Amino acid sequence: MEVFVSAVGFGLVTAALLAISAVGFTLQFSVTNVLNLAFGSVMTGAGFVAYGLNLSGMNIWLAMIIAALCGGVISVLMNTLLYGPFIRHGMTLFGMVIVTISTAVISDHVIEAAVGPSFFSYNAPAGKALHFADFLLTRQDLTVIAIAVVVTLVTQLTLQRTRLGKSMRGLSVNPSLARACGIPTRRIVNFAWFGSGVMAGLGGVALFLESSTFSATTGSDFLIVIIAAAVLGGIGSARGAVLGALIVGIVTEVGAAYWDPQLKDVLAFAVLILVLLVRPQGLFPQLATERAVVG
Amino acid sequence: MSAATQYYTITILVYICANVIAAWGLDLQFGVTGVLNFAFIIFQAVGAYTAGVLSLGSSSGNGGFEQYIGGANLPFPLPIIGAMLAGAALAAIVGLIALRRLRSDYQAMVMLVVSVVATTVVTAETGLANGAAGLSLVANPMYGLAGLSRQTQSWIFVAFCIVVMLVVGAVMYAVVYSPHGRVLRAVRENEHALEALGRSATHSRLEVFVIGGALAGLSGALLVEFIGAWAPSGWLYPETFVFFTAVIVGGRGSVAGVAIGAALIGVGIQQAVQYLPIGSDPTVLAAAEWIITGVLTLVFLWVRPQGLLPERRRRFAGGSGVVTR
Repeated sequence: MEVFVSAVGFGLVTAALLAISAVGFTLQFSVTNVLNLAFGSVMTGAGFVAYGLNLSGMNIWLAMIIAALCGGVISVLMNTLLYGPFIRHGMTLFGMVIVTISTAVISDHVIEAAVGPSFFSYNAPAGKALHFADFLLTRQDLTVIAIAVVVTLVTQLTLQRTRLGKSMRGLSVNPSLARACGIPTRRIVNFAWFGSGVMAGLGGVALFLESSTFSATTGSDFLIVIIAAAVLGGIGSARGAVLGALIVGIVTEVGAAYWDPQLKDVLAFAVLILVLLVRPQGLFPQLATERAVVG
Repeated sequence: MSAATQYYTITILVYICANVIAAWGLDLQFGVTGVLNFAFIIFQAVGAYTAGVLSLGSSSGNGGFEQYIGGANLPFPLPIIGAMLAGAALAAIVGLIALRRLRSDYQAMVMLVVSVVATTVVTAETGLANGAAGLSLVANPMYGLAGLSRQTQSWIFVAFCIVVMLVVGAVMYAVVYSPHGRVLRAVRENEHALEALGRSATHSRLEVFVIGGALAGLSGALLVEFIGAWAPSGWLYPETFVFFTAVIVGGRGSVAGVAIGAALIGVGIQQAVQYLPIGSDPTVLAAAEWIITGVLTLVFLWVRPQGLLPERRRRFAGGSGVVTR
């Protein structure tokens, strides 16, 4: 029983990591319809920005905030300079997937060429492991979980209670009608990219914190699991992303504890493929019919 | 030619043949029919593993240093045929499960996940195909020809690969520029019109998925018999992207174009980076190859999306373009 409970505890940490990124990913995808496979590169880039700052003596949490802002800026630039022009050039839904995968390949390997193939780790003490009710979590783990909760709450409140959120939801359902109603599409889209970039940055630094060592490929390796969680919950729904993250996180950790740790991710993917076959719109479906990309 | 130059030329030619055959397989799936197969590399891998296992013999032989399922000591063309069948079978299984009416980007994600699952499972389950270490000591079938020097044997293998490539090319021409090819292109262009005419788009997609899988398996078999080894680190999910670039740069749907694209992207970039002034650190060279591949894809998508040699579009007589007979 202890094994199960502590596995659930680790699962919560993994779920927190996934939730931070999955919420950002799903938000941007629901507003723009661009499957941004370069999300992992933004995570990795932000993680290394934080590494550089951390190396020069800054506290890791402060570095995380700065790296997150960098991630937001980079994402907006990516859309303004690359994705947006391609969309206006007439690129289709699938064409954009190729564009984002090319961007991911380029940025991943630029990062790899810059930092080299070695492994790094942050200068951040994990803190004492706290023992309560069979859970075994460090201060760092709890902070990451707290960040995930805050990010999810802020996103949910923004989407439900503010005009910006309402505009985003309107844009995700019907872009042309939203434009006709006077919603400034470009600005809202930029906000969506900025928000998703900030969450990618937070998620990237958190991921690097929780991995004992990280390298230039850590972010993109994690991207597939993030996509799994986001799609499982239903693309476009922040609640769904959190639920998907919880399911994937806990299932993988419990599976690793009782079965084979190396096949951890396979379990998550098996769940994803099953869900995609049985209920492709995910657990909390937003309208997921054939739509156009928005740039 | 010196021995080193001969070896270099032989290697380049074999890689070109294998890449062109694989790119044709993807072209049939993606270029002509519009099937988004982001898991393409696993079909090449299953062909390579099958050809290897079928020519290595049982796994307890050779001192049992590698474990894998199956194992037979089949004579020359049988491992290659087995590889094609394996590629086709895996494609049938994956196709039946994954080729649903999913939105195109969802389908891309499903295929990506399938590719990642495949590498993870094969790496973790060492009993399947020797895990991360992969298969090795796969013998080149031509090395068994008695009385010839190693170099002559290698040239014979090259000749064999070229003949196979030409045969596949002829088949591709026959399929793509035929009435059947028009059905496939209709799946890409206007699926609903095709279904209204009574054809099944799903059948056509599954069909090209299987044929493309067989071609990928064939290319994997040729590669593994030349290289002699095959491991999961060589078929991670981004490798599919290289073939996509070849198809996009060469010309979607065009047989000759894709062949040129495969030669340029698959082999050309790898050779070209060695002449760039970026030193010789292997990590930097490998990263440069990927960066150039990505940049080329973006440039071609922007400037010339139809590729270097666009596919031949037939024009029908008739003022408004409507076919009246």
